Amino acid sequence: MTLQLLEILQSKQALRRRLTVLPIAEKLRLLDELRERSQTIGISRAQRHAAVERPAIPPTFVDAVR
Amino acid sequence: MKIKEVLTTVNQMQADGIIDRYAIGGAVGATFYLEPIATLDVDIFVAFRPEPGKLLVSPQPLIDYLAARGCRMEGEYLFIADWPVQFLPPPTPLVEEALVEAVSFDVEGVPTRVVSAEHLACIALELGRPKDKARLLQFIEAGVLAPARLEAILARHHLSDKWQKFEVQFLRGEG
Repeated sequence: MTLQLLEILQSKQALRRRLTVLPIAEKLRLLDELRERSQTIGISRAQRHAAVERPAIPPTFVDAVR
Repeated sequence: MKIKEVLTTVNQMQADGIIDRYAIGGAVGATFYLEPIATLDVDIFVAFRPEPGKLLVSPQPLIDYLAARGCRMEGEYLFIADWPVQFLPPPTPLVEEALVEAVSFDVEGVPTRVVSAEHLACIALELGRPKDKARLLQFIEAGVLAPARLEAILARHHLSDKWQKFEVQFLRGEG
């Protein structure tokens, strides 16, 4: 791992080239995985939003003494 | 591989006479030429078959066919093997040509028709949204476009001026 920008860009380009020449079936398999990952991120994001937006239930006397 | 099920289903639709020809476009189509491009859906250009005795074509036979095979519909998408698929009639002469001149690939034994790299590049240029311009740059960087073929398509569809502007803006560092 490096923090040199030029090296980072070069390694990114090399990765893209490697991915480009993969067999088609392999690239399509990666599409399946990328989509599943996006869905998982989307679901967890939605759950986080729901948790934030849920109105707080005011503590009752019973809750306080528990 | 789930997306392979989509390809198999589309081939079966063609064999069963539900659609005429088809060609995969969008990010999935581009993935045949570039690195895998994350996408949430599959765009398939199709030539719909007119129903006997009707002048207008309708997507209804396609919807009924897929519904009978357990595919659900949500908005403009039909879900095949969990992938939202959009079946699109060609909206412009460029896409009509792309459909006719699609390239055949073999995906682990499944024949698959895909929009050519040059047509995908021209469609991106025609659409002109930021993500399309980014994709066009990817095609150029990957060196997968045949210059003569690209120029011919650009000329046929009156896109040469748009291409020159794109070149000035993105490839010559001007504009």
